[in-house]
Amino acid sequence: MNPFALAYREQQQLFLFDKTYLLGTLLKVGGLSTLLARFIVQFFWNPTIALVITLALLALSSYLTWAFVRKTSKDWKTIPLCLIPSVFIWASLSDIGLHFDFLTSILLVQTGLLIFKNIKSGKLMWGVILTIILYLTTGSAAVLFAVCAAIKERSWKSLCYPAVVALCGIAAYLSAAVPTWADAFTPSFYYNLDASLPGMHWAGWICLPIIILIGELAGQTNLNRWFIFISGIVFFAVSCFPARKITNKFERQQPILTYKLEYYTNREDWDGLIKACKKAPWLPRTANYLNMALAWKGELADHLLDYDQRGPDALVMTIKDRAVDDAQAHIMMTMGNVAAAQDVAFNLLFSLQGYCPAMVKINALVELMRGSYEVADKYLSLLKKAPHYRKWAMKYRGFLFNDDAVEADPLLGNGRRNLTAEDAFIMYTNPMTELFPILDANPKDERTLEYGLCYLLLAKDLNSVKHFITDYYSSPDSPALPRIAQEAMVFYSEYSRNMEGVESFGLDWCYDHGVTPETVKRFEDYQKAAVAGPVSLKRFRGTYWYYLVHTEI
Amino acid sequence: MKKSRIVNCILGVVFLSLQLSCAGITKNASQLDEDAPIFPDYKEVTIPANIAPLNFSFLGEENCALLVGDKVIRSRGGLFRFGKRQWRKLLTNCSEGFLNLTVFVKRDNGWCSYKPFKITVSQDKIDPWFSYRLIPPGYQGWQDMGIYQRDLESYSQKAIMTNNLTGGNCLNCHTYHNGDPSKMVFHARASFGGTIVVDGDAIEKLNTKTDSTISALVYPYWHPSGDFVAFSVNKTLQAFYNHDPNRIEVYDMASDVVVYNVKTHEIAWSPLTKAEDRFETFPTFSPDGKWLYFCSAEAVEPMPDKHREVRYGLYRIHFNAEDMSFGDSLECVYDAPAEGFSVSFPRVSPDGRFLCVTRHGYGNFSIWHKDADLWLIDLTDGSLKPMDDVNSNDVDSFHTWSSNGKWMVFSSRRDDGLYTKPYFTHIDSNGNAAKPFLLPQKNPLAYYKRLMKSYNLPAFTTGKVKIGKRDLTDVIRKSSGTDVLVK
Repeated sequence: MNPFALAYREQQQLFLFDKTYLLGTLLKVGGLSTLLARFIVQFFWNPTIALVITLALLALSSYLTWAFVRKTSKDWKTIPLCLIPSVFIWASLSDIGLHFDFLTSILLVQTGLLIFKNIKSGKLMWGVILTIILYLTTGSAAVLFAVCAAIKERSWKSLCYPAVVALCGIAAYLSAAVPTWADAFTPSFYYNLDASLPGMHWAGWICLPIIILIGELAGQTNLNRWFIFISGIVFFAVSCFPARKITNKFERQQPILTYKLEYYTNREDWDGLIKACKKAPWLPRTANYLNMALAWKGELADHLLDYDQRGPDALVMTIKDRAVDDAQAHIMMTMGNVAAAQDVAFNLLFSLQGYCPAMVKINALVELMRGSYEVADKYLSLLKKAPHYRKWAMKYRGFLFNDDAVEADPLLGNGRRNLTAEDAFIMYTNPMTELFPILDANPKDERTLEYGLCYLLLAKDLNSVKHFITDYYSSPDSPALPRIAQEAMVFYSEYSRNMEGVESFGLDWCYDHGVTPETVKRFEDYQKAAVAGPVSLKRFRGTYWYYLVHTEI
Repeated sequence: MKKSRIVNCILGVVFLSLQLSCAGITKNASQLDEDAPIFPDYKEVTIPANIAPLNFSFLGEENCALLVGDKVIRSRGGLFRFGKRQWRKLLTNCSEGFLNLTVFVKRDNGWCSYKPFKITVSQDKIDPWFSYRLIPPGYQGWQDMGIYQRDLESYSQKAIMTNNLTGGNCLNCHTYHNGDPSKMVFHARASFGGTIVVDGDAIEKLNTKTDSTISALVYPYWHPSGDFVAFSVNKTLQAFYNHDPNRIEVYDMASDVVVYNVKTHEIAWSPLTKAEDRFETFPTFSPDGKWLYFCSAEAVEPMPDKHREVRYGLYRIHFNAEDMSFGDSLECVYDAPAEGFSVSFPRVSPDGRFLCVTRHGYGNFSIWHKDADLWLIDLTDGSLKPMDDVNSNDVDSFHTWSSNGKWMVFSSRRDDGLYTKPYFTHIDSNGNAAKPFLLPQKNPLAYYKRLMKSYNLPAFTTGKVKIGKRDLTDVIRKSSGTDVLVK
């Protein structure tokens, strides 16, 4: 199981210490297991903690199975057998579509089984009561309780537990507490709304009653305990293979790398993000994250070509290709297109498990930038109720109804200035068209400036680069012209002199616009190396000239 | 026996001291020349006698109390909460037709009183239920939404249908026949798409896209006979502004108006409601069923570049329910574009005298337009006036009349500029509206601040909608639906 996939679960919910939230969750069928799951998952903001907690819970599940199966407290030889259900639950949790309630519901059922085992009198009545309570608190996992309790009891009367759980399921279906019959009785209850449940997720469920049945039969037939121990180890070892296969299958189907990149983005760990992106920088989405990290570090133009960039899509995917996902909101925010960031974040505010914390944060920030303090207050109040986000929310609450503080803040003030751009629909044409008015409104936004320049450079649109430099890098307080832009202009100057239809300009123009003599000298070296052949060109790999000539976009 | 006496004595002393302290608050208080800062703003509103208690919060930090008539209520964390019985008693005993309220606040120099205010209690009853969608105010994120109903005499809210039962799809445009809770129509979209028509216990799913219409059926309105429903068909798109206060623009690339026959499953239209060079939308019938009103604008191209040039006027056409036919001419009821405006959501009062529209600068989706206000047209003389006592500086839009025509519910964004809330206003026989009041809640300040959804499409019903979620779910999920035919 990938710890970053576990951490991604934390971004699909917002556990709130709030009466309405707690009661609202609890009072649904399966509410307790959902609440427990969400309570636990709130700590998954750290992948290591997420992994440790999940492993501990799986160990607890194995212990609870053993505690139910064992005949005496010293019956340790059944332990390997009891590990098997946890192996499959572990595998199933690799599927992000399967909610963490799948595990917490099983833990609650196992707790119920242990209570049931220790009941001395009125077992039938208590069994029925437990079945009903478990159905209400865990949902369809109560089926497991009913079956396991019936196996344990091995009497005709004990068949009333499955009967009671059937009635509970029917009642849940008829009262529309669940959408389908499958949700009433199968692990579908814990799967994404109306998505079809992969068959593998049955394994964790079916194993539990099978292990209990084996334990019961072994006890009844007085099988040699060493035989149980050895066969348990064999079965455990054998079960690891399909479990591994299941895990691999889900991990292949899921964007694990994206989960990792999202994790570093949400932590604003830009060095971590750059490191993670190095695994596949050529993928457009990875390149988007990589360049975003460079931009936040103020190194986008300086280090852009240190990495394998393949056209402007490496900065931000074009309208046609891009999906409305969390990354898009982060990228738009970095680019300074805060309205576009909000457009995406607004639509991703709700996840299947509640609120998406990163998107709530973006919405809160943009509302502060807009000066819509009442709405910002709503989002910040929400985040304040989630322990992990409380500090962040408290920090930004200080900006409520305080225009001066907002304008003085580097992030919020910059965003507010960007919002004064000439009005137009956003996410409508292409990212660059939307950047120009923002830069006109706030030419001092260095991230936006670098994104704009790099976009045109990666698009190899040298004429537009020249105009861009004229417009935004020509005033005395403009930032220094980045190296790659200097390289582009030196090249274009040379090119313009030899090409018809291109307005020619000399090196004087270049010098006037921030190109250094050192760049011109290096260009001469580059030209010599280009004549000498590919080996000599190697040392020019990080230059714009190399990108221009050798990278296909 | 002894114990109970002691307890009674203690309670008596506590009660007496409370009374004395309360009397102290009101007797010695100095008067402030300020309106009490409260939420919701219930100052000088008109309410029906059958409304749930109007709890409200004092927005200051200080210790506070409320004098209602001759009773003093102490706040809990700023919240003034009325018991159900206490509230009923207050409304029943207000012989002059209004409640007098004064908020007191404890400051360093003792108790002070804000300017007193009154709440007028109208004897015109309001329909006991109203329904609405609760949706995030975004336009794509509808993973968690539903159609709900609320008992206006209490705080009870029940779900009529929620989309977690139907794959998280969009559910919209719920509309009732004359407020009858047993006769409604709404749409389910996406994978279980179809139009759901409920008539008593019968539920029918319709596939409403035909080769002759540009889309499935959209905005509905029932004919008073219950045999027809007028719908628009729209090719609608949406876009997000950079910083325009309206934030989102919803616009039509094309739209028409058609009428659906509930019995024959046929739709029909007039060339005048489906003109090539016009956008027609938001149909509504007159209470006598003889007129079909709708909004219509000259089509402009290209869209959306020229979306700010689209302005809708209000038109009507004769409708003959006998043979489902239309008149051969259009009558312009209000030429809003001539005045540089656009109108949407026409709704005729049950007595047929007034027609309420939302008026705004351009376009048709006024729920995102900050300048959207409610205007009332007197159909007897064609005069038009803004509902000044109702309108705010923010969006005031989608409105519905109560069955007796004395109340109107509408959507407003006046509180925070984004999350729509339902406001209710009393309309007298001359069309004068009283200051509206926000839907009461147990703790309105906490509730509305916590609510991350908008109240959308508020509609009165004369009783509780009884159709079960299970029945609706089964039809939506399992029925392949009846194809709508073109007459």
